[in-house]
Amino acid sequence: MSLSIIQAILSGILIGGVYGLFSTGFSLAFGVMRIVNFAHGELVMLGMYVGLFIFVGTGLDPLYTAPIGGIVAAALGSVLYLVFYRRFVGRATLQQLLIGIAIALILQISAQIAFGPQTRGLQSGWSAQYLLIGPIFLSYAQIFAFALAVAIVLLVELLLSKTVWGQSIRAIADHREAAELVGINSELRNLGAFALACGLAGISGGILVAYYPVSPTVGFSLVPIALIAMVIGGLGSVGGTFIGGIMVGVIQQLTGAVWSTALQNIPLYIILLLFLAFRPHGLFGRQSAH
Amino acid sequence: MTTQSPVQHSRQSDLDHASFVGSWRVWVTVVLAIAVAALPFIPAVDSYMLSVVVRAAIFIALGQAWNVTAGIGGQLSLGHGVFFGIGAYTTAILFNRYGIPPWIGFLGGIALALVAAFVMGAATFRLRGVYFALATIAVSLGFEEYARYEIDFTGGDAGMAVRFLGDSLWALQSRDPAPFVWFTLAVVVGFYALTRMILNGRRGFELQAVRDDEEAAAAAGIDVVRVKLWGFLLSAGMTAFVGSVYVQFYLSIDPMTAFGLPQGIQIQLPALIGGLGTAGGPIAGGAIMILVSELTNWAGTAIGQEGIDVLAYGVMLLIIVMRAPAGVVGQWERLFRRPGAAP
Repeated sequence: MSLSIIQAILSGILIGGVYGLFSTGFSLAFGVMRIVNFAHGELVMLGMYVGLFIFVGTGLDPLYTAPIGGIVAAALGSVLYLVFYRRFVGRATLQQLLIGIAIALILQISAQIAFGPQTRGLQSGWSAQYLLIGPIFLSYAQIFAFALAVAIVLLVELLLSKTVWGQSIRAIADHREAAELVGINSELRNLGAFALACGLAGISGGILVAYYPVSPTVGFSLVPIALIAMVIGGLGSVGGTFIGGIMVGVIQQLTGAVWSTALQNIPLYIILLLFLAFRPHGLFGRQSAH
Repeated sequence: MTTQSPVQHSRQSDLDHASFVGSWRVWVTVVLAIAVAALPFIPAVDSYMLSVVVRAAIFIALGQAWNVTAGIGGQLSLGHGVFFGIGAYTTAILFNRYGIPPWIGFLGGIALALVAAFVMGAATFRLRGVYFALATIAVSLGFEEYARYEIDFTGGDAGMAVRFLGDSLWALQSRDPAPFVWFTLAVVVGFYALTRMILNGRRGFELQAVRDDEEAAAAAGIDVVRVKLWGFLLSAGMTAFVGSVYVQFYLSIDPMTAFGLPQGIQIQLPALIGGLGTAGGPIAGGAIMILVSELTNWAGTAIGQEGIDVLAYGVMLLIIVMRAPAGVVGQWERLFRRPGAAP
């Protein structure tokens, strides 16, 4: 294997960790409530702006303050759930997709009005440094971001497997009808799951902004990634989606290394189509998408 | 799990008073069309207003095209930018590089769009509802990225400009928007007649049957995939044609305008706002949207803020989906339908 391939795989894994993190939220909302939250990318954007403004105001590195972005996004997500998504729970209908698109447009333009249309990045001291392993170089910010993403996903997995609330959510995600038959279906559970899903988007945004510039339209480029990670990993499967996200990162970087960075997403779209057509339950999911 | 279309009322019941309503509608259409065609002759109407009319007509025509597969057929495609972009780029590239006039370029664009629609349809028609919509997004994003990459052919990110020859019927170009008012008006009227023909014909009933209940339609002997593909291909061809007209009027095209997600979303709005699956819906919805767009652009310039129109589109979409899924035309019919007549 040539060096550029190894470099691409390692960078892809690191970048993919954060993809996996916000995709996990997208997948959770879909798995538990059958909500395709098209505005998920905009919640990542919100987390990115929160991280950016805290950095501008206080100089604190966004990697430390990411949970604040998560809380803000979870709060906004709860409002979106109560006002709009609640009536569509359990039915992935076209109306619900259109609602998500409308919300995404509104959040995007609101961000543009509030924060300006320009793309903004930030430079904090150590996170702009690179770790050199021989000829391979990796960004410290990305290494730390990856570690953080893994830790958060493990926490979410613990939450889902050890708490009663989490187990009921998993039961729904695993087998909707059976869970409803035994009486697991509470409004509060849904609200909590959706807030958690959106919080994961916000916290990912806080992490992402450490090395990726933010603009009001960044969300539109992130939703397809979440979608692909979810479909590859398995609809609604948290661990599967996280691995799906890492695969997305690796595929992007590999395409960039061997073909062209300008075309780094095209193999992903093809893979998405192939999965939707031939394996809609993904690599790790058990349910059919139909 | 069956996916339901936003409009869930049978067209069959409209047949009782179809002849009366039909003639009434035809007259309104004729009067409206004559009024719009006469606009260039009114001294108070300047060329800016005429260009707004052309913009509205292009918008409406795109809505009419999308309405065939999404409104009547229930296939909510978010990737119609693919066909729009193929139409626009094909006409522009054929003209710039080979001097082929748009009258022939139209056919090239439509042919390529049909090929793309056939491949897309074959790959995605197994998918229902939301999954189909998401798959079409992937296709349009792929096209967008590729158009950015192919700089030699498409001009890349910055887009390409069509060579301008001045007033020329051969090149379908004009300094004055008036000829485009008539041309795009003819397209809208033609698409309207086509939509009514489909709705009143066998294909229309089959498309609606598939939209309302795929299993039942299949059980009744309808070849579901064939019907879906028919609607999708027709819609794709119509969209590509409008894309070609668009590039003749605006004389430029870029990857974001052609294939971007905002385009895919915008194409849906006239039909959604006006009334999915109805012949008049995209016309009413497109007209409303252009009014809103002009008003918000004016207001946005006044307060120095861009993008207010998109904000307004988003709010309108929210209101329509939450409160009036049958759209403006649907609400209208609900309010004014005679009591005792079909629901």
